[in-house]
Amino acid sequence: MMPVLLKRRLQSSFNSFVSMQKWEFFVRMSFMAAGLAILCGMYFWFYRVLNYLYGISIIGQLLPWKLSSMAFLLMFSMVSISGLIAAMTTLYYSYDLKFLFSSPLSVRRIFFDKTVEASLYSSWTLAAVMVPYIFALGRVIGAGLFFYIYFLALLVPYVLLGAAFGIMLSLGLMYWFPTSRTRDIVWLLGSSAMIGAYMMLRFVQPERLTRPDALEVVSKYLQYLQAPTAKYLPSWWLVGGMQAFHYGRYGDFALCASGLVLSVFALYGLLVYFSKWAYMKGFSGAQEGMRQGPNKGFVEPLERKMIYTGMMETVQGTLLWKDRKLFMRDVRYWSQGALILAIMAVYLFSIRQLPLDSGDLKSLISFLNISVAGFVVASIGLRFTFPSISLEGKSFWILRSSPVSLRSVLKEKLVLWTLPSFLVGTVLVAWSNVLLGADAFISILSLFTIAVASIAFCFMGVGLGAVFPRFNVENIHQIESSAGGFIYMAACIGYLALVLVIESYPVRYHFMGRFYSNASPDWRLESLCALAYVALNAVAIVLPWKLGLKTLESCEI
Amino acid sequence: MIEISGLTKRFGDLTAVDNLNLRVEKGEVLGFLGPNGAGKTTTVKIMSGLMYPTAGSVKLCGIDIVQNPVEAKRITALVPDEPFVYPKLSGVEFLHFTGDLYGVPADEQERRIPELLEMFDLVPWQSELLESYSHGMRQKLVIATMLLRKPKVVLLDEPMVGLDPKSARMVKTIIRDLAAAGATVFMCTHILEIAEKLCDRIGIMYGGKMIELGTMATLRAKTSQGLDAGDGRRISLEDVFLDLTSDRQFSSL
Repeated sequence: MMPVLLKRRLQSSFNSFVSMQKWEFFVRMSFMAAGLAILCGMYFWFYRVLNYLYGISIIGQLLPWKLSSMAFLLMFSMVSISGLIAAMTTLYYSYDLKFLFSSPLSVRRIFFDKTVEASLYSSWTLAAVMVPYIFALGRVIGAGLFFYIYFLALLVPYVLLGAAFGIMLSLGLMYWFPTSRTRDIVWLLGSSAMIGAYMMLRFVQPERLTRPDALEVVSKYLQYLQAPTAKYLPSWWLVGGMQAFHYGRYGDFALCASGLVLSVFALYGLLVYFSKWAYMKGFSGAQEGMRQGPNKGFVEPLERKMIYTGMMETVQGTLLWKDRKLFMRDVRYWSQGALILAIMAVYLFSIRQLPLDSGDLKSLISFLNISVAGFVVASIGLRFTFPSISLEGKSFWILRSSPVSLRSVLKEKLVLWTLPSFLVGTVLVAWSNVLLGADAFISILSLFTIAVASIAFCFMGVGLGAVFPRFNVENIHQIESSAGGFIYMAACIGYLALVLVIESYPVRYHFMGRFYSNASPDWRLESLCALAYVALNAVAIVLPWKLGLKTLESCEI
Repeated sequence: MIEISGLTKRFGDLTAVDNLNLRVEKGEVLGFLGPNGAGKTTTVKIMSGLMYPTAGSVKLCGIDIVQNPVEAKRITALVPDEPFVYPKLSGVEFLHFTGDLYGVPADEQERRIPELLEMFDLVPWQSELLESYSHGMRQKLVIATMLLRKPKVVLLDEPMVGLDPKSARMVKTIIRDLAAAGATVFMCTHILEIAEKLCDRIGIMYGGKMIELGTMATLRAKTSQGLDAGDGRRISLEDVFLDLTSDRQFSSL
């Protein structure tokens, strides 16, 4: 029976491939090229960091291994959490589960099929990120060919093991708490753990690793470097094993490698064995709808009161009320909100840690900071603004068949997301300017630029989201990672690049004026910059909006 | 009143609806039948503004759905075959939401919504999120939203699917009452017994074309068997339907 399940996957993949349009193929190739470029960039970055650490006298030989064990430990925990979240969706809420459970397949076979899917989904991106790291490490320590082969080969059981822990946890949770509420709690806790790991990684200040004086006693530091990061965890089996291989201790390597491989077989074997009892109970419970508790009837929403007082148009108010309710009740949004706060905290912390002493340099960094803050706002838009039309999902027929113009629908999404986007952008830039002590001109310029950019990104998000609607997706990540999401991000990055180019001229004269008292700007060029800026924003706002409206109006469901 | 003129819908090489001409009068219930893939749902989607026609036009009470969609939709109610609703809204919230969208005054909503919930046995579920509703419950809720806004044109695509016998009987009464009150009802269904009992006229689609249209008596007269099924009973809509569509299926083989 297993080949039948495998066959359906292979057939689906083959059919998607052969039915691909030329433009889809082009977009996918672009995605792959962009992904490879990012991996290459990471390789060079990893190489620089590892090479620097390796070159430090006395402790240099230990540092790359120490960093590796920390990195792989972090990766293991991330794969586990990712496995937990993926398993909750794949094992209990996939579209085809009802069909599979109604077929004469054993529970164990269905579980195994879905487990493979969850393991792959949760681990492949993190595994891909570690490939350039392994290549960079190998190059720095001067490793031979077999080092790469064994390391990459052992990476597979390593990530599978991480995913298995997440799957095991989901199986246990759904066995003991078989309700749909468990999924929401897991989603929230899992995301919080990810956020915690992300913040911890930044707040422990890994840059201190290169400064022995930062630790109180040097001997303590050396002791710390020599000690395994976590001897009984798989991360040490992998890194410790590869370290042993590199230094010719093949016995230790074989022990670590076999421990890793055998653990994978043992853990997946146990999971499949116990799934016979645990999986069906969890799946059954997951289908039960979430009850709201006591009958509360209808509570008059705030938006309705605003409609009565004439502060809001009826359609806008009604759609806002609906979207607010959906937002408040979808736990996935909460975790994303928490992630944004974490990103902002880490961002501002990093700005504060920047070792800058000159006032002009600080002002210059404040100006360049527009691009980084803009990127954060664009990323938030990718998560919230861009998918807002697609998230109407299969219920879109309600709006499409109602006496509401699609322009009103787009306008409501714009109103909903502009304020948060504007707040995030301006708070990031204003706070950064305060931390950096930027001068008045740069502070005003950067604040104005990010405010306009935040609004432009909202137009682009709603507009391009309507150009590339995906009403039939299983989860929001499919919307974000679609061709439309890619185009939205590319458009935002292009916008930021052009803004920096346009503004670089007045900024250049601002700095020149501080050094040379007789430096005076060319007002014709200044005017041209202002004109180019207005034109850029007009295009960024009007074009996606018009395209989105036109596409959505011609969209058939 | 519904006026369909030269309606055609093509998906690439496939012609789903081929030059459909039809007029449904005020207060009339029209049953729209046909085998799977005949073009029934496509026709309903075009009539409700979910799809654009390749050619032809649809006028609902004189308003063209393509030229003036918002006004046409204001007087129309659609009950689709799959009642997808917002899973994170409660039943009572969904009713208020659609009421607001269609401009039903708040005081009327306050009065009518409890009645409708009572009517469809949804009172114990009114505060539950729609993700916990069964297919039939969601179907009842969508039908309740239709009654809330008193439409002039009612488009029903398999409205009985998923309904319990009590609700199904109630929906039949509702359809007749709506027609009696002057609404034009256009109903796609595969349940021939319901179509036979409920509809004033019946149209049969096959391969995107309307192959027959008329009252039960007219359709009976047009079949190869005449008015008698041959086994002593009077010919039913099922006999008519199979007679009109099966032969064509076999002849095409």
